[in-house]
Order: sequence, then structure tokens, then C-alpha cells
Amino acid sequence: MINPFPPAFLFILGAVLIPILKGKLKQLYLLMIPAIAFLDIIKLSPGMSWSYRFSGYDLVFCNVDRLSLIIGYIFVIIGFLAILYSIHVKEDGQHIAAFLYIGSSLGVVFSGDFFSLFVFWEIMAVASLFLILYQRKKESLGAGLRYILMHIIGGCSLLAGIIIYTISKGSIAIGIIEPNAAYWFLLLGIGLNTAFIPIHTWLPDAYPEGTITGSVFLSVFTTKTGVYVLARCFPGVEFVAYMGGIMALYGVVFALLQNDARRLLSYHIVSQVGYMVAAVGVGTALSINGAVAHVFNHILYKALLFMSIGSVMYMTGKRKLTEMGGLARFMPVTTIVCIIAALSISGAPGFNGFISKGMILASVAEAHRPILEIMLTLASVGTFLSFIKLGYFAFFAKNYDMKSKESPVNMQLAMMLTAFACVLIGLFPKILFYILPYQDIPYHPYTPGHIVGVIQLFMLAGASFILAKAMVVPHNATILDFDYFYRMGGKVLIWVIMVPLSALRKKLQLFSSVTVSIISRLAKNPISTIEIPIAYIYQRITKGSRYVGGYSSSDTFNENLYRKPVGVGIFLAIILLFVFALVHLIFK
Amino acid sequence: MEKILKRLFLILAALSIPLGFFVEHEHAVFFWHRIPSIEAIFGFFGTFVLILATAILTSFAQKKEHFYD
Repeated sequence: MINPFPPAFLFILGAVLIPILKGKLKQLYLLMIPAIAFLDIIKLSPGMSWSYRFSGYDLVFCNVDRLSLIIGYIFVIIGFLAILYSIHVKEDGQHIAAFLYIGSSLGVVFSGDFFSLFVFWEIMAVASLFLILYQRKKESLGAGLRYILMHIIGGCSLLAGIIIYTISKGSIAIGIIEPNAAYWFLLLGIGLNTAFIPIHTWLPDAYPEGTITGSVFLSVFTTKTGVYVLARCFPGVEFVAYMGGIMALYGVVFALLQNDARRLLSYHIVSQVGYMVAAVGVGTALSINGAVAHVFNHILYKALLFMSIGSVMYMTGKRKLTEMGGLARFMPVTTIVCIIAALSISGAPGFNGFISKGMILASVAEAHRPILEIMLTLASVGTFLSFIKLGYFAFFAKNYDMKSKESPVNMQLAMMLTAFACVLIGLFPKILFYILPYQDIPYHPYTPGHIVGVIQLFMLAGASFILAKAMVVPHNATILDFDYFYRMGGKVLIWVIMVPLSALRKKLQLFSSVTVSIISRLAKNPISTIEIPIAYIYQRITKGSRYVGGYSSSDTFNENLYRKPVGVGIFLAIILLFVFALVHLIFK
Repeated sequence: MEKILKRLFLILAALSIPLGFFVEHEHAVFFWHRIPSIEAIFGFFGTFVLILATAILTSFAQKKEHFYD
């Protein structure tokens, strides 16, 4: 009997062996780790916990309850499918980044205290960055830099919140946060990863610039861990509920205007995460169940959408809707799975989105939030419209120049399995209900009123789309988002550093080198004190070149002449640390 | 072919409206839950509201493709 093991470490430690293995063995190994992790999570049961006492605090690396278990299941399932999708990638670095990303996300989910959560949170940010940078394009490098800058700001805010929380409460255990000084710091840090408006800009900026396979991983983990932590720390917060409504609508309006297929999908992450955030903000048992069910379903259909568009990009090299079209004939599998994913995200009956979106809308109505219900229903109309647009322009619009083959077998297999999961949960929602955090909360998705309502919503939205199609035809343009202000702010900051601050630095440097040269001259030869007034008078009379204490502009202090290599400093520091440790050990 | 499909869809959409009179909204909370076929009205007008929102957004936020380069 093997005891279960914290699943995060399976992936993080598992990444070490990736560069050593080669060929088929490596591919087998890559698939084996998530399979083992799945078996491991099945063996975990609520109440289990692994902790380590450190500096007077309990670091809880693995704290198991029903909420962490369901997110753990889906993270490992999608980890397996996304790895299957990317198994043809030769570059080890991409697999290592993906493993660290999955592992650290699982780490966040199973963390029982804020310190270990923070450590995994930061590993997650850095690992995901590499999935963007490996695209190796100018746009990716820029987007990656902006991505990590924003996550550093979010991470600092989270850390500040954690420190204040720990000092004020004397405990680091994760729990519901009371309104105090730590509250807003924590909300900002978690909200950044959850893509709160207006700090969501890293998402539609960076996700479309990731590698084809990397974007599938990106679409899954960061925002969903954000929702998970939000559900742990901020359930039932009014601000969070309405932020969710704003996100749902904001994302959908921006998505309707996008031409880059993956950017369209990225704005839909903002929108769909909005549903989850709204449900967390409502905070009832049904709404938390709805939020978690939506996390589960969203991960499946959003990864499937990124997989299908990635498959088109992989085979055709096209990423814009204006350049695609007519692919249904050449890529039937990709087309069918994309339609399944589109129906799932829209919430069509028979697909998984129908179940969880219905739960969220029902819980919002039950909690008497009329405005929120209207916002989320309107977002649902927009979601359907966006995916008619995506499906039509990518696969069915006339494009006689387009020729392509179907994507590699591993990609097709991963897409088919994910699509199967979407339909399976749509048809047999009890599978999902069985693992939800709150049991005995009755919800019946397939009622006549609900089915007819959704059909009417879609049919009439589709009809008005046909009438107003010209308004949403994709075209090449940039739609400015809030990042305009951040980029302009960045430019102003760089100007302030380059011009006024740099000028001040030069002045200070000149002043100090003049002072140093005078003092050193006086120290060497105090008699020369007399020379200074003479030189000054000489200068006043002749109005000639500046002559003060032997100083001339050519011998300004040049620090590079005196600089020792960094290695020397580090070497000395290591020796001193070693001596210190030795002394400490001997005289303890 | 495309024209026929479009017309068929529009006819089906029109036919879906009376369906709402045969079913009831379970757990009606707000007054609009009791209006028959409210979802059809929402779907139709919601689309125009969203298209209006995108039109307003493009009027000031739409720039050339390589605006940031």
C-alpha cells in the first residue's frame, strides 16, 4: 500500500528527469506523470494534510478538502490532455515549464497556508512566462515582459497582504479574510491573477503570444487558481460579485471586436472567469458549487478551443480570422471539436457549459441580484455571437486559397478526448455533481423552461446576428484596452529616468568627483590650500578655463577603472558565510 | 445554398418564439421570469445592445493594426 503524496511535487520533481530521457521513452514519461498524479489524487481524501513546522508557523503543503480535490482532479486531467496535445514538441524547456506550471498550480490549490501558497504562486508566474517566451518572436518577448511585470506587482501586493494578515492575526492559515488593511492588498494580488478589470490586460496581451501548445496550458491554470483562492478567501463579497458581472460583459464586448483568434479566446477567458467570480461573490452554497462546476467545465472547453485554434495555426500558420476560412473541408476533426467547444462555452443544452452556467444564473436569481442576472445573461448572448463569428470565419467562410491537412494524431486525439469530456458532462451532469464541494444542494439542469429559454436566446441572437453581420465582420485593427494607460505610464516613467533623473545623477556625480579631487589634493599636500584662492582669482581675471584644485573635466571619476569583478565580491561573501557558519557551529 | 440556410434559420428562430408559451420558468424570482418567451426578447435586443456597445467602443478605441510598434 503506497501512501498518497502531495501531487504538486510529482510534477515539480518529475520535471527534473525530462532532459535526461529521449524519444518514445520521454513521451511515455511525460504522459505517465499526470496519470500517476491522477491516481494519487483519487487516493487523497478530505481531511488529509501534510505540514512542516518552520519558524514557529505550520507550512501546510497539502491540505485536502472537497474544494481542493475537485480543482485537483480537473488540473491533472487537463494536464494529461494538454501534455498529449504537446507531446510532439521537441524542446525540453517547454515541457519543463509546463510541468512546473501544472505542479505549482496544484501546489496553490492544495496549500493550507499563505506562505506556501505565495511560493507556489510565484513559481506559477515564472513557469508560465517561459511558455510565452519560447515562441521566440519580438511580440512574445514584449508581451512576456509586460506579463511578468504585472505579475510581480500582483505578487508584491499579495505578499504585503500576507505579511499584514499574519502580523494582525498571528496565523498563516488560509481562511475567509475580514475587512482590514490586508484585505485590499490580498484582493488586488488575487484579483490580478483572476483578471479583474482593469488589471486584466496581461491576459489578452500575453496569451495570444504564447507558443501554440503553451497557450493551452496558459488558458487553464493562472485564472482558475485565482478563482479558487478567491472562493477560499472572499466568498459572498458584494464587490467581487459585481466585478464578475463587469468582467463577463467587458470580455465579451472586446472579444466581439477581435481579429486574432487567440486574442478573441483570451477575452472570453476574462468573460467566463467573470461568471465564476460573480458566483463566488454571491457566496451561497449553490453559487459556490456553480463557480467550481464552471471552473471544471470552462477548463475543458477553453483548453479545447485553444487546442483547435492552435491546430489551425500549426497547420496553416494563420492566426487572424481575416486570413482563415474554408478549413472545414480540410480539417474535419478540428472543425467538429471547435463546434463542440463553441456550443459548450455558449451553454447549449447537451454540453457541459449548459450545466454550470445554469447553476450560476439560478444562484444569482435566488440570491436576488437582478442587475447581475441581466449582466450575465447579456454576456451569454455575446458569447454565442462571438463563437458564431469564430466558427464561421475560421472554418466556413469562403477562402479558395486555403489548403491544409489535418493536424498530427496526438493533437487530434487530445482534442477528441477533451470534446468527449465536454459532451459526457453535458449529458451526464451527475458525474460532476458527485464531486462538487457542497452536497445535497438540489439543482436540475434539464427542465423544459430552461431548455426552451436557452434555445430561444440563441435562435433570436443568431437571427439578429444574420441581420447585423456586417457590424461584426473581422478586420485588421487594434482595439485599445486599459493597457494603453499602462504603456503610456511606462513611457513617462522611462522619460523621467532618462532625462531629469539622469541629468541630476550627472550633476551629483560631477559635484562629488570635484569634492573628492579637492579633498584628495589637500590631503596629499595641505600647502596647496593657498593655490585654490590663487586659481580662483586667476580664473576670475582671465575668465579662462575652469581650474579648481587641479580638477579638469577630463579626469572625472570613472567608476569602471576602480571596479572589481562581481565574482570577487561573491567569493568573499561565500568565504565569510562559511567562516560564520563554522564559528556558529563550533561555539553553538 | 447559403441563402436557403439563412432563411431556414430565420424561420426556425421565428418558430421558437411561441414555444415559450407552453413552458413555465421554474422558480420565477423576478417579474420578467413570468413573461412568456422573455429569453427570445432578450436574445434579439441583447444582440443590438452589444453591437451598439462595440460601435461606441470602436469609435474612440480603434486604432491601426500596429499602433504600439
